[in-house]
Amino acid sequence: MNYNFEEILETIKMTEIEHFDIRTVTLGISLRDCIDRNVEVSKQKIYDKIIKYGSKHVKYAEEIEANFGISIANKRVSITPISIPFDSYKTDEFIEIAKVLDKAAGEIGIDYLAGYSALVQKGFTNGEMEMINSIPFVLAETKRITASVNVASTKAGINMDAINIMSEKIKQTAELTKDDDSIGCAKLVVFANIPEDNPFVAGAFHGVTEPEAVLNVGISGPGVVLDAIKNAGSVDLQQLAELIKKTVFKTTRAGELIGRKVAEKHGIPFGIIDISLAPTPAKGDSIADILVAMGVEDVGAHGTTAALAMLNDAVKKAGLMASSSVGGMSGAFIPVSEDEGMIKAVERGNLSIEKLEAMTSVCSVGLDMVAVPGDTPATTIAGIIADECAIGVINDKTTSVRIIPAYGKSVGESVDYGGLLGLAPIMAVREISSDRFVKRGGRIPAPMRSLTN
Amino acid sequence: MNISDEKIREIALNAIKELGDNANQQNVKEVVEETIKKLGNSLPEKSTDMDQVILTSFGLNKPGVIAAITKALSEANCDISDLSQKLMGDFFTMIMIVNTSNSTLSLNEIQNKMKKISDEMKIKIMMQHEEIFKSMHRI
Repeated sequence: MNYNFEEILETIKMTEIEHFDIRTVTLGISLRDCIDRNVEVSKQKIYDKIIKYGSKHVKYAEEIEANFGISIANKRVSITPISIPFDSYKTDEFIEIAKVLDKAAGEIGIDYLAGYSALVQKGFTNGEMEMINSIPFVLAETKRITASVNVASTKAGINMDAINIMSEKIKQTAELTKDDDSIGCAKLVVFANIPEDNPFVAGAFHGVTEPEAVLNVGISGPGVVLDAIKNAGSVDLQQLAELIKKTVFKTTRAGELIGRKVAEKHGIPFGIIDISLAPTPAKGDSIADILVAMGVEDVGAHGTTAALAMLNDAVKKAGLMASSSVGGMSGAFIPVSEDEGMIKAVERGNLSIEKLEAMTSVCSVGLDMVAVPGDTPATTIAGIIADECAIGVINDKTTSVRIIPAYGKSVGESVDYGGLLGLAPIMAVREISSDRFVKRGGRIPAPMRSLTN
Repeated sequence: MNISDEKIREIALNAIKELGDNANQQNVKEVVEETIKKLGNSLPEKSTDMDQVILTSFGLNKPGVIAAITKALSEANCDISDLSQKLMGDFFTMIMIVNTSNSTLSLNEIQNKMKKISDEMKIKIMMQHEEIFKSMHRI
């Protein structure tokens, strides 16, 4: 037999017991040719194009799932950052476009469509300003649209004006969606160094240098890594790194195969595989549990950042060996609400927002799905975003903030969205003010790239 | 066979050029259809890759389990290229490599048949294309 018993059973164990699945296959579609002076014509073009490329997306993914016996958790679509082709539109027109996108997404049977985005790290065009003003209304009035705004990059520096505006928009979104635990904020991410080929919602978009349509895939599999570490017993850290690498190598290979097969069915190019370990609220599908299995008592203990750094690095090394198409974020996600272990660590008082921020300096994204009191001032949120951007810009990495100032709630309460978004306990923020610093506005200049101490 | 919209447009444009002034909707359509047919014939109908599927089954051992699976496979004109089985007490695990190249049914249809057996016999049966094991366990 070409394969031995153990190999076959290992794969079956991964998919059946350890929750190994493909987290997302994301179809990127360019909307650059959909602009028209008449918004009605644009709307029709957008709708037609998404239906044309996307109508079979779910069907194809399901066929591949059945063929290989590996489930694909999410089938999604990303589009050209909406502010780019439609720069001449006004806020009301952007809202209309978002509604069409929402309708098309529903029609093709996907849960999220990402790319309601703007890239303003250096400044705003008039259209980008109009589009950003529409974000809170779009997130309140649509179900499937996710928005992202890039406010900083290593090459451009940190646009504090944009951060101040986004903090106000986050607060406004929280208020407009207050009846649903401010869920709008769970669909809005503020980025530094945003990648153009990220398949993971809510931060996904179809970059301007991407082809007409492309298929990107994001793998998952914290459960697989967790079990491997648990079974390893008391080995030293080098051996542990080796073990993580071997496991992630296999999951990456499976992910690339699935991505290529779905792309083949679509007849479009395969783009990248994002090897991020992405948790879900399901039991055993947790990054926090991996860190605990590595040896810290709970997430937040001293040593957590080191453990996360090692995990993230091992994941990258394995992924790069396994595939030549690694892209996107590719690291370990540490969202609070989407990870059972993280939720518990916050509830037990072991994980603070400050420690979480330190962890984001070595992991793939940033402060993700963090709920804070509803009365947190916008300037404090701006301070949090600015800190996160500084980490990203100085370290030449992607960082992001997806923060939920839960309207009318305070520390001790929580917001509960169910499903993949999970439950977020409200975390305390510093009560001292960032006001005078962030209100200066302007731009923090781009950093130097030598003398990096 | 899948032919992209662009390709069809290209064929149509060529046809119009060739037909010159005589081109009308009817004869362009005929030329395009003929060309597509020719293109289809020049390509092999089925890929030469063997469609190897790995069937894994486990559960409590009872008479007739293997018979039921192999019977269904043979009815679907599938060829069993390799088989290995282990018994641990009452618990059995069986792995088969099945060649479905000549099958009259699609993998999905075979999987549905297995689903039936798996419900009747209260065992677990999985059929996965070989490529997933190749990509995970072979460099």
